[in-house]
Amino acid sequence: MKKEQLALKEISLKDERFRTSYHFSLQKLKLSLEETGLLNPPLVTLRDNRFILVSGWKRVLACLELSFTAIPVYVIEEKNELQVFLMALYENLATREFSLLEKAEILARLKKFGENEKRIIRHYLPFLDIPQTLSHLDAYLAFSQFELELKRAAHEKNMAFSTLKLLAGFTLQEQRLLLPLLLPLGQNKQKELLEDLLEIAKRNNLPAKNMLLSKEIKAVQANETLAPLQKADKIRALLKEKRYPVFSSWKDSFDSLLKKMKWPREITVNPSPFFEEDSFTVIFSFENQEQFKTNLLKLEELSSRAEFLEIFKMR
Amino acid sequence: MSKAEFLPRRVYIEKKSLQRALTKRILKNIGRIPLEIVEDSQGFLEERKISRDSIKHGKKDLFITSQKGEFVKPCPCTPHFIGCNYYIINLDLNCPLDCTYCILQHYLSDSIITVHANLDDLWTQLDIFLSKNEDRTIRIGTGELGDSLVIDHLTGNSKELISYFKNKHNVIFELKTKTVNIENILNSDPAPNIIISWSLNSSKIAESEEGGSPAIEERINAAQIVVDRGFRVGFHFDPLIFYPGCEKDYGEVVENLLEHIDPPRIAWISLGSLRFPPSLKEIIQERFPETKIIYSEMIKGKDGKLRYFKPIRLELYKNIVRAIKEKGGRRVPLYFCMEGKSIWREVLGWVPTGKEGLEAYLSSPLGKSIV
Repeated sequence: MKKEQLALKEISLKDERFRTSYHFSLQKLKLSLEETGLLNPPLVTLRDNRFILVSGWKRVLACLELSFTAIPVYVIEEKNELQVFLMALYENLATREFSLLEKAEILARLKKFGENEKRIIRHYLPFLDIPQTLSHLDAYLAFSQFELELKRAAHEKNMAFSTLKLLAGFTLQEQRLLLPLLLPLGQNKQKELLEDLLEIAKRNNLPAKNMLLSKEIKAVQANETLAPLQKADKIRALLKEKRYPVFSSWKDSFDSLLKKMKWPREITVNPSPFFEEDSFTVIFSFENQEQFKTNLLKLEELSSRAEFLEIFKMR
Repeated sequence: MSKAEFLPRRVYIEKKSLQRALTKRILKNIGRIPLEIVEDSQGFLEERKISRDSIKHGKKDLFITSQKGEFVKPCPCTPHFIGCNYYIINLDLNCPLDCTYCILQHYLSDSIITVHANLDDLWTQLDIFLSKNEDRTIRIGTGELGDSLVIDHLTGNSKELISYFKNKHNVIFELKTKTVNIENILNSDPAPNIIISWSLNSSKIAESEEGGSPAIEERINAAQIVVDRGFRVGFHFDPLIFYPGCEKDYGEVVENLLEHIDPPRIAWISLGSLRFPPSLKEIIQERFPETKIIYSEMIKGKDGKLRYFKPIRLELYKNIVRAIKEKGGRRVPLYFCMEGKSIWREVLGWVPTGKEGLEAYLSSPLGKSIV
């Protein structure tokens, strides 16, 4: 490997065979480059009389934006693609953490450059902090097939492995329909929405897109009075109701009963989680003896009504 | 078995287990099948995990090794529910049958069918365990981490176990199976404290979810033969699976069962509905993409397992209990596996006083009092 000064225009950026990072901000790096210049030369290699980038995409793109004309590089003479890729991998491994999507690209490249599954699992997954199972390898390889827009969103929203794994179970069209619904949500809600949708589709033996293109979901999406988060939450609730119809109807009946009884807001009554237990919980707060007594009187009055007994049928 | 008796594709024998009597018996019964001696068990098992479906892969081979830890353990049951004080003997692990809902897919870290050949250690451990529990009734059985009879034509363990337990008068010993592999049972002497049990389900579920298992009619037929030989039998409707029309289907199985088996010969019938830890769901989705049983309305119970929303469980249980009572099984002891007080009360009309109460209730094969 020899160090050379190379004109930036001599580096072909169209050839991305060794590239594994796509989504990054150049801002801080540009500031650093302006102050100190490029101290850590990128790696390049010669293929078909063109220099192609092996590692250092961020550095080269930042230099281009700063209108550098030439930069120092290390030229790798190795011809074996896998060996060249490994140099880039190990260089990066030592200096930074990889995102889920970067790991996916790395594993896809290793496979493309001829590493077999067994060796990838045994040798590379531990380096990348991935459990050594075929199912994990399969999942990451599926992530590498996502469309660029989904990859970017997944990277920027820091989507969880489990969310991406669920997303991989949808068709390309469904992934496109899902993306705007997922973006406003946090990780747990993203996962919940995807799980419910996937399970409704499987249970009903229908493609998930039918649900995503249904009138109910379209109506929510077309509602201009709702913010993206409100839309996503409404759709999530809609799916939840379809996924758990019996539980939803029980919950509705319980809420209706409280409404019918005009149950006071300051006293909360809850069934056990999922109505599993026989017991209910009552919660109220008080600041003095008088408030405490007032709440007890209200409870006594509520308990004397005939409707109160209906609560006990709901367990 | 009506579906051909299991013969492994290859047998692996841990070097230290080569000279054991059970190993020799298996090799004699197994005929000409490729053998491989394993020097490093841990490395061997780790290597097998890298396979697209290591569970399926594991069901084709047999590994003979030694149980390093305790053979006898309390049945783990599940937190917050009423247990039944059952003990399990971990003799064989895994099973060539391939039920979609099988908990072993999640529970066992190694998927190869494993036989523990150090039976001498088993008898010693059992002697110690039983001597410590002489003053109480012990219900104990195999069939928790593998089917009790599915490889019995190779191991012959059922004969030895029956022979060991038949004179232990404070012990009820149970062999639990889905198979009709009963030859060794028929060649054993019956005793009141030996129960041969079958897992039953609706025919539709047996066909679609219990891969490699004999049809329900064949299981009931095998039970009838075992009863005719003088044994008492048990049945486990577990997991009951909800689907449209399940009430009628389970009713038909109950009718068939009680037409063929004289109720006084039934030691117990247990009932349990489909339940599993959330992590099993992913395994089922990967291994059985066609199954729909995991997409029913399941909630996370207080033990963290997914189970049907309570009104669905109640419907399942009430229907099958009604069928059992209507078809002549009114006096057969019924119990729930992993359910709470409210289900007991609402379906059976009583609640056991803890696991000791349930143990007493299920001790009827020994002629003990019922509640």
